[in-house]
Amino acid sequence: FAPLHHYGPVTALKIYKNYVLAGYGPILKIYQMTQGDLLDVAEVFCKQVFSRNKIHHIEITSQGRLCLSGARSFMVLDLEEVLQGKGNFKERAINEWIVTCAFYENWLLILNSHNVVYKVDLASFEFDKVHCQEKSILYSGSIQVLDNGTVYVAAGTVMSGVIIWDLHSRKIVHNLTDHEGSIFGVKVDKTGKYIVSCSDDRSIKLYDFASGTVLATGWGHGSRIWTLEFFKGDNVKIMSTGEDCSLRLWQYQEGNSQLVQLEMVENCHSGKHIWSGDVDDLEYQVCVTGGADGRIKLHDLNKVNRTEYSLQEISSQTGLVFGKKDFIRDYFELKDRLIVLISNGDLVEYSDNSFKTIAFNDQHKLKDFAIVKGFSDINIVIIAARNGDLLIADFTSDLPQLSWIQDEYLGSNKLTNLLVYSTDNKYYVLVDVPNPNIPFILREFDSSFNLVNVTQLSQPNQTSFTTTDMVVDSVNNWLVIASRYVTIAAYDLSTTSMALFKKLSPGDTITSVQIITSKTNELALLILVKDGSYLYTTLTLSTTFHLDVTHANKLTKGFIEGGYIKSNKLVLYGFKSSYFYIWNETCQFEIMNELCGGSHRQWKLAPSKFIYVKDKTTLVIRNIAHRFVNDGLIHLGTHGREIRDVAVSPDGKLLVSASEDATIAVSQLEDGVKGIWSMNNHISGLQRVKFLNSEYMASSAANEEFIIWKVTQSNIPLVKEFVRLKPSAVENPDLRIMNFASIELESNVFILVTVYSNSNIKIWRIDLNKEHYGDMVKLLVNDFYTTCCILNVELLQKDDKTWLMIGATDGYVTIWDVTSKLDPEEHKLGASIIHQQLHQNGVKAMEVFTHQDGYRLITGGDDNALVVCDLQVPDLKLDIVGYEESAASATITSISVVGEHKFVTTSVDQIVRIWEYNEGLTCLSARYTTIADTGCSASMGSTIYIGGAGLSSWKVNNL
Amino acid sequence: MGKSSKDKRDLYYRRAKEEGWRARSAFKLLQLNQEFNLFDGITRVVDLCAAPGSWSQVLSRELQGKNAKIVAVDLQPMTPIDGVTTIQADITHPNTLQTILDIFAGEQADFVCSDGAPDVTGLHDLDEYIQAQLILSALQLTTCLLKPGGTFVAKIFRGRDIDLLYSQLSYLFERVICAKPRASRGTSLEAFIVCLGYKPRPGWNPKLDLQTSTEEFFEGADIGKAGNLEHFELPDDEERKIAKFVACGDINDVDSDATY
Ligand SMILES: C[S@@+](CC[C@H](N)C(=O)[O-])C[C@H]1O[C@@H](n2cnc3c(N)ncnc32)[C@H](O)[C@@H]1O
Repeated sequence: FAPLHHYGPVTALKIYKNYVLAGYGPILKIYQMTQGDLLDVAEVFCKQVFSRNKIHHIEITSQGRLCLSGARSFMVLDLEEVLQGKGNFKERAINEWIVTCAFYENWLLILNSHNVVYKVDLASFEFDKVHCQEKSILYSGSIQVLDNGTVYVAAGTVMSGVIIWDLHSRKIVHNLTDHEGSIFGVKVDKTGKYIVSCSDDRSIKLYDFASGTVLATGWGHGSRIWTLEFFKGDNVKIMSTGEDCSLRLWQYQEGNSQLVQLEMVENCHSGKHIWSGDVDDLEYQVCVTGGADGRIKLHDLNKVNRTEYSLQEISSQTGLVFGKKDFIRDYFELKDRLIVLISNGDLVEYSDNSFKTIAFNDQHKLKDFAIVKGFSDINIVIIAARNGDLLIADFTSDLPQLSWIQDEYLGSNKLTNLLVYSTDNKYYVLVDVPNPNIPFILREFDSSFNLVNVTQLSQPNQTSFTTTDMVVDSVNNWLVIASRYVTIAAYDLSTTSMALFKKLSPGDTITSVQIITSKTNELALLILVKDGSYLYTTLTLSTTFHLDVTHANKLTKGFIEGGYIKSNKLVLYGFKSSYFYIWNETCQFEIMNELCGGSHRQWKLAPSKFIYVKDKTTLVIRNIAHRFVNDGLIHLGTHGREIRDVAVSPDGKLLVSASEDATIAVSQLEDGVKGIWSMNNHISGLQRVKFLNSEYMASSAANEEFIIWKVTQSNIPLVKEFVRLKPSAVENPDLRIMNFASIELESNVFILVTVYSNSNIKIWRIDLNKEHYGDMVKLLVNDFYTTCCILNVELLQKDDKTWLMIGATDGYVTIWDVTSKLDPEEHKLGASIIHQQLHQNGVKAMEVFTHQDGYRLITGGDDNALVVCDLQVPDLKLDIVGYEESAASATITSISVVGEHKFVTTSVDQIVRIWEYNEGLTCLSARYTTIADTGCSASMGSTIYIGGAGLSSWKVNNL
Repeated sequence: MGKSSKDKRDLYYRRAKEEGWRARSAFKLLQLNQEFNLFDGITRVVDLCAAPGSWSQVLSRELQGKNAKIVAVDLQPMTPIDGVTTIQADITHPNTLQTILDIFAGEQADFVCSDGAPDVTGLHDLDEYIQAQLILSALQLTTCLLKPGGTFVAKIFRGRDIDLLYSQLSYLFERVICAKPRASRGTSLEAFIVCLGYKPRPGWNPKLDLQTSTEEFFEGADIGKAGNLEHFELPDDEERKIAKFVACGDINDVDSDATY
């Protein structure tokens, strides 16, 4: 019975030389940074060093002497020894909460929560207690040893006070009362010139140490601030992180009473709380942050490289003369240069930080309208004119070769879009006009850009099929064109036959379509919709095309303009209000953002540049520095809020978790728990998630939300909302579907029962083979238990009989025979056959499994008790066969069966217990779990998954 | 879901409004009293962490006409209540306890209660520690002030190490019960320790000293609490005990988890 993997709050971080030290709860992790082309960070050490307590603070001297502390525990180590595997991991303790530790000569200084410093001789561990007379309770504190030997203790109290006292003289130097509420962070810089503090009031205050006056205040954090660090080389710069999951960098400017916010990174972590962080502005120019979500992430401190060129500047460099109303029309980036088209038809080339003119004929054709695209791999730029003529500019040799392809197809129709795509050394260019009677013209070029083929494809017979993107699949020779109203057209280029798939999801324009994989007669497509939806679909062709949506999710982040899949990670980009962002959807973090003013401008994303036009006339080139391997993700986390329920797929490959943050996370169980999807369909607090069979799962939440999901197993699992139950007529946001149970009658046909916080019980017949809601979902029973909240439910079926069993907040287990209620007619439940009180109040956990001819029922209560009952068939008599009044010291929250007579309980006392029932109830083993708020569990074979404020997995031996 | 909408779903909230209680917490004390007859024969009481004051209201009503002394303390200011002395202060500060002792001027109290809850940060172990400090401070006052046989009631959050507290309390009281009133939500970790029959530790004279911390205060009490070990060795696991659990309030009473 031993822990396997653990994800939970990152409570301390420290950068030391080329190492990042992390207090991952009670586990010490050490990562090594290696600077290659990119900065790589790899784990070199991992060990649980405290038995129960979390590491809240890490202190290290320049010689690598290391102290870890947290709660009552501390440990003194030598980093070199630890790295060589020789560390002496001796956990020590005091009997009070430790706020912080510091080394001073041969002493270790431990500040406790009563503002007392233990001065501990590191050789003998003899100690003195030193205090300043003021023993208020502390929320925060730090110790600064100055070069001249002065030691300052900075203490943050509960009631708005910061106390600075001198360890040697024991005198209070300052009592600063400028904040309101508890002080959550306070530090003195290492020169002893400044003090910085933060509090409940969400502000950061920088003080002049000498006078104790506030020099400047920093406002910006949306909620409480948890960490503050001075920059190591520049003590008027400060880093802060907090509850709002943002990292902020601040600078003090003399004379300015506001701290100036230099940089802000939002959503560094999921959910709430960045608990820890550190900054290195001397060597690696990085910040590191650790969240409640268990993620550790690096951030780049280097200044963003951004260059701007106004039309005026372009004019003075090239000698071109632009009119007052001229603007930057469009541009395209090649490998070593940027080709820019001005609205008057002038074409300029930007390379090596300067502009020069590109001369060509018939500039007037590009005057009122033009679209610039190209193929950077073969140095080709294509510019489409209104009349359909294409200017081809070849930049392969030093001297660009420009030539026109005259249109022969569009007649007097005006070109509205130009789409390009390349695959397999074939280069495709498609032009589109609004007249649906004019075919799309698809031109195919070879890699020397000789025209190979022209195909005319009739437009879908639909008004305003506005093209937005296209792909060509070289395996099958198919063309897919995306349009508005989440509609795509698929063409078989060999026969030019076409199929149209409309309204694949709600939403408007498809902004991007991409090929994920392609094999004969089967194309997997990624479809990105402007409103934030993204779809994984499969296009197949037998006699006609068929399109199947296998995954659908919607970002809450903003609009999607495009995206890509890179080493199995989905990356999306787009706009959120005035920002452009790039977002790693798989790992749930932002890669970069740029305050550019929003999407109503010309913009393009190249691999390492984001180029946009400001005020129509200024070109801005913003470099995207890829400084880190994995974009700086050091350790993957999980939900950033409490996990309410977990479930494992029947094949044991997936773990699904439901969290207070209203998301459902789907993870692969493969060397740990690897998050793949974070589904945002629920908007209310989740209650439960379970698999119905190997293909479908379901989740329930407040606001009567109940969703059935379809899961497709493939290289990466795909998930989509399949159907959701319609709520009752009266809307009540507080009405929670507390739990549900199902049995499968025949393939994908289920009896489902849902139980509610208002005592409602509903039994449904769900036929997922049907197409329309009315045929799929039938309500069979709609009744009420009492007025109390129902917590648990099970359905049992044996020999033509079906029983319904519930456990509620009144402590009762109630069973009905519902055999006769399962034909499609609304019924009441009628009299129960069993109504028995097993607990004093809430039946918090309930597990039933078949046993001999009948069933065994195990319940765990809010009253700490565990009850084992046998249920005899056919009459379902209930016998209590085992009872343990104090089975835990606090609420039992879940029960998972792990073997024939064995089961595991979790409880909020953070003890995981294995029980055996065999003629009597015995606790075989009990172990402390580092997961606080322990609330749910699921088992698969001998592995148990436990969720709460974090997630852990355990292996049960000797089953 | 915001806190306010959560409160609204609760019938206790509405009932408190109707009956004139400042907070729905009043029902928790009333239900505890139903089970344990806490108010029998008491006249001198301390209500710690009392704001906005619904427990004080209950106490003031119950002790009406008995020439009672009620002292209520909170960090937050409180609107005055008839017959209640209110103090705005931090109960973890020794000075506060001294102020209360001064008001009693040598008299003993019959009943001490604390419904204290700190501002939670979300770091579970820190929150549990601060909560434990509130209880220890209340207990410190209790040992200095409560008459033998008297009652101590305090809010707890059942999490890790709650069994350590149960064990320590069992040295000081004849009965220690973990009570959960139905007015307290089943989904919350909140419960109340009801400690009946105060029995001062033989040979220990609890004396408030403004210079000692709560941990130091209890060092001589010998209640199974770990002190500092020589060379800061990790102490053996401290004594733990599971208190008897009692759900109180009528089972037919309103269910605070239910939705209406
Ligand atoms: C749940 S409320 C008490 C409600 C009260 N029993 C009633 O019925 O109205 C918790 C109170 O504990 C108080 N509190 C928290 N920490 C405190 C401290 N250190 N000293 C005094 N009061 C504190 C808070 O200010 C808050 O008013």
